[in-house]
Amino acid sequence: MDANDGADAPYWNGLAEGRLMLPRCGGCGDWLWPAVSRCGPCGSETIEWVERSMRATIFSWTRTWHRFGFTESLDLPFVSIVATVDDCGIRLLGRLDDPDQVDPAIGEAIAGRIGATRVEGRDIPTIIWSRG
Amino acid sequence: MHPLYGTTAVAGIGLRQYKRGASPLPEQGVLVEAILAACADAGFDPAEVDGFVSYGDDKNEPVRLMPALGTRELKWSSVVWGGGGGGVAGAFGLAAAAILSGQASAVIVFRALVEGSSGRLSAAVMAHHLNDHMLAAGIVAPAQVCAIRANRMYEHHGVPASVAEELVRASYYHGSRNPEAVAYGSEFDLEEMRNSRWIAEPFRLFDCSRENDGAAAFLMVSAERARDLKRPPAYLLGCANGAEKGWGDLLENDDEALYATAGFRPIARRLYAETGLSPADIDVVQLYENFSAQGVASLIDHGFCTYENVAEVVRFDNLIAPTGKLPVNTGGGNFAQGFIHGIGTAYEAVKQLRGESANPVPGARTCLLAGGPGAPTVSSAIFANEIP
Ligand SMILES: [Zn+2]
Repeated sequence: MDANDGADAPYWNGLAEGRLMLPRCGGCGDWLWPAVSRCGPCGSETIEWVERSMRATIFSWTRTWHRFGFTESLDLPFVSIVATVDDCGIRLLGRLDDPDQVDPAIGEAIAGRIGATRVEGRDIPTIIWSRG
Repeated sequence: MHPLYGTTAVAGIGLRQYKRGASPLPEQGVLVEAILAACADAGFDPAEVDGFVSYGDDKNEPVRLMPALGTRELKWSSVVWGGGGGGVAGAFGLAAAAILSGQASAVIVFRALVEGSSGRLSAAVMAHHLNDHMLAAGIVAPAQVCAIRANRMYEHHGVPASVAEELVRASYYHGSRNPEAVAYGSEFDLEEMRNSRWIAEPFRLFDCSRENDGAAAFLMVSAERARDLKRPPAYLLGCANGAEKGWGDLLENDDEALYATAGFRPIARRLYAETGLSPADIDVVQLYENFSAQGVASLIDHGFCTYENVAEVVRFDNLIAPTGKLPVNTGGGNFAQGFIHGIGTAYEAVKQLRGESANPVPGARTCLLAGGPGAPTVSSAIFANEIP
């Protein structure tokens, strides 16, 4: 579950280096997410990892108030979002800064920075988004 | 006619249900009791059961039940893949497949859940699905996964959030009148629901199903054999299980038009095509509601309403027996009958078709059972007390 040796390893390695890297099919050019070893529609096994800027729009969101296990490092409430990354359409799970508890709006533009979420003594890199 | 149509039936049912953490027996013991009850209900020798089917990562491997049941020979043991409750209806299709192909003749469909034995269901379901993408976003529970989809359905597709309340009220109304339900005899307080604490927006506590200990078992045999047993058969008319392209375990990258659904569009299409029935032919619905919004999405997917007219259809008055046109969760559903990973909805389907429901739907002949919504693979089935 936490080993960086899956099909999405370049994504995790990219975040560790401060970059958002996402996979695109070398055959048909489609963006592929979740990361896969083969493009189903065209059959190509050439996967190119391309850097994208951390700009996105909000696809959907939830604000969590209940203390679920594994979230101990996050102050309640916290907002989790699905973000549609600009110029590729891949959707990523992430967190949104929520200082004033203003409800996010679907389609709202956001910008990200690389942070981490501490889960059971392990820092998992992630993109933390904020408005504007 | 499709080979599943009216060729197998549920001949006996058994249910044991307790408050979470209050089971008097470990999980396997409760399950054995439920299976024995299902066999006794049908007047069937439990030693003659030769097949078992479950779903949702049930931990009770059938071969381990053999000593307590006196099973003579095990010929079929299988599960529907998936960690959530999406497979509950599909389990009946799997049992029917075993019977119709001659690989077994008397199959028990079951689900058992006792916290003291297996831990919390929500944790088990998430253990099946969790990955670093989710953990890093703080998404660690089914409630949050479904909340994100619900917000999309409400905000982007224009479904008024108030319909969720109508569905929850209907479940509690039925449950309060069902002696086998956790909510039996309790008065539902609308203000308490509206003021209940937030879990993950848009869900408050009352939008979430809450786990119970227990087990339920269903004896399935061929339709012909069922007619010779003690109780009136609940015939399986059709069953579909699966996922279409653009839906599944996709890290939130489902097809945009499917994202806010419950995943049942292909299931409903196949189910209606294979049975020749349509939503108008369904007399009563047993709906797996893990969360209120997903229950609503399931009704939309199955063609009972649309994003546009959902508020006209999903109304408390319309959802309750005996007067509503779309009676839903007549036993109380996962919210108010009890939640043993959704198996109670199947139990109520059979009770309703036998005329034994605490909230009978007059003249009901067909019942749709919709499995756990929003799961990567989902399933539904149609049962009937006569073959139309
Ligand atoms: Zn390709």
